[in-house]
Amino acid sequence: MIVSLVVVLAIPLVLMSGLLYKSAVLLEEHSMFNLLFSKEWKPLSGQFGFYTFIISSLWVTVVSLLIAAPICLLTAIHLTQYAKRWVLNLMHPVIDLLAGIPSVIFGVWGILVVVPAIADHIAPFFGKSVSGYSILAGAIVLSIMIIPFILNILIELFRNIPTELKEASLSLGATKWQTIKLVLIKKILPGIVSAFGLGMSRAFGETIAVLIVVGNVTQIPKGIFQPGYPLPALIANNYGEMLSIPMYDSALMLAALILFVIVLFFNFISRVIIIKSNKHN
Amino acid sequence: MKKNILGIFLIVMAIFTGAMVQSGCGSRQNSSESNDGELKGTISISGAFALYPLTVRWAEEFQKEYPDVRIDISAGGAGKGMADVLSGMVDLAMFSREITPPEIEKGAWWVAVSKDAVLATINAGNPFLDQIRQHGISKEAFIGIFLDQNIKLWNECPGITGESDKINVFTRSDACGAAEMWGLFLGKNQESLKGIGVFGDPGIADAVKNDKLGLGYNNVIYAYDINTRKKYDGIEIVPIDMNGNGIVDPEEDFYGTLDEVCAAIADYRYPSPPARDLYLVSKGKPDNKLVIEFLHWILVNGQQYVSEAGYVHLSDTKIENELQKLK
Repeated sequence: MIVSLVVVLAIPLVLMSGLLYKSAVLLEEHSMFNLLFSKEWKPLSGQFGFYTFIISSLWVTVVSLLIAAPICLLTAIHLTQYAKRWVLNLMHPVIDLLAGIPSVIFGVWGILVVVPAIADHIAPFFGKSVSGYSILAGAIVLSIMIIPFILNILIELFRNIPTELKEASLSLGATKWQTIKLVLIKKILPGIVSAFGLGMSRAFGETIAVLIVVGNVTQIPKGIFQPGYPLPALIANNYGEMLSIPMYDSALMLAALILFVIVLFFNFISRVIIIKSNKHN
Repeated sequence: MKKNILGIFLIVMAIFTGAMVQSGCGSRQNSSESNDGELKGTISISGAFALYPLTVRWAEEFQKEYPDVRIDISAGGAGKGMADVLSGMVDLAMFSREITPPEIEKGAWWVAVSKDAVLATINAGNPFLDQIRQHGISKEAFIGIFLDQNIKLWNECPGITGESDKINVFTRSDACGAAEMWGLFLGKNQESLKGIGVFGDPGIADAVKNDKLGLGYNNVIYAYDINTRKKYDGIEIVPIDMNGNGIVDPEEDFYGTLDEVCAAIADYRYPSPPARDLYLVSKGKPDNKLVIEFLHWILVNGQQYVSEAGYVHLSDTKIENELQKLK
């Protein structure tokens, strides 16, 4: 038991040190600050700026969360507070099924449906002419992928609220909606925030589904209809081909390290919020 | 006495370990000849997707001739093959781009085994199709489209008139030989090519098929069907106006069938790059007799399977040169 515990605890450390060791080649030549804030990505002429990739990652993640968050919250409220018992029982396996679909299928579906929809309908509606491969396409695909994940956590949160709270609020004359808005959500707010945080780190690291539809253009996106190039896509696109060029290899490992650190940071913040709220109660 | 036995035991162990390390811990058998002079053993190959179908074909034919030989092939990208071969994981790497100096420094040794080419592809429903076929697109115009971005509309290409429709440029998102070659043709590398990045050769073909204003580039076998020898439905090839006179001359017009294109690539009527040699790479000159034999067989007997698989023959002088390397 102790051994397995140690193994589990060691995994992130081993991952991190491995990535650090591999990135050392690049870090000897360039300063970390330069790598993180330079926009020039021309590996063959020795320029390794990760800024555009980091910004693209944030764009895709934030937009996908903006799409997924309200949907998840409203669905969770409906299923736990308004819907009949059997609807929830029916939805549980459906949500799990959604969560189990391999991401490459979402990506292919994105090519078949989302990209043409953006090119032919959504972008023209906003008066733009684009190819459809864009931050928005990536975000839509991502949001559908993280919805089941966040939804599961939210449903659990709502179901674990003591009934007394609800009853007390209703008996004081609050309407059902007021009760939900002012009592229930307030009670589990930290939990909701951390559910979104966990969803965000899931989204941040999602690779293949986003890579297929996002356009992979090395530029700072200026809007959701522009193509972007997230970090995981950078690694996946170049990994097989560029292993034999030491600097390039090292740069990809550093990209993995940056991704790792950012996701750890999201998770850490989510955890802290949960712990704080538990103390609070 | 005991000490002696211990000593002998240790020496035997050391020899054994040495042998294990030599043979790569048993992961690679060295070839040997059985008593009747038949070839035996295993060859492991990994690397570029571009060369994978042809190598599989060669391996099948070679194993028919030498049933005691096993050839394991896996595809994972040219760089992966190169990394595997330089670290001694495999005997040969399939390689589809020019070998870089850092790779040569680490001991890469190569033999050219075949050729293929990258072609500019457009949608068969492109509104300017007739004009494009008549005038072609020159290298300068391609540079304007893929690098400088000073040509953004179809009617800004020399000789093409009509509506102000955008060119939707597609490039490969994954690092690959095809994009590298297209970049070299325009005087730069893959990383300088502008356009929407799409994953994989079939990815670009699909993107172009679905976009009337799309422009991309594909390997020959993704633009032509090797069974019918014709272009895939929905895809057209952009003729390259090599001499820049604004007209596709008869000698620049060879895109009708797969065989015509391959013939043009073979006799350099189609420029190189984007035509390219495909290599098999090893770490230093292979000392394994079986590997040498296999490479020799590819250059001599294997060439007959090249064109039906949709690739291009090496010229006779080239084959002569490569055979010299094996001696």
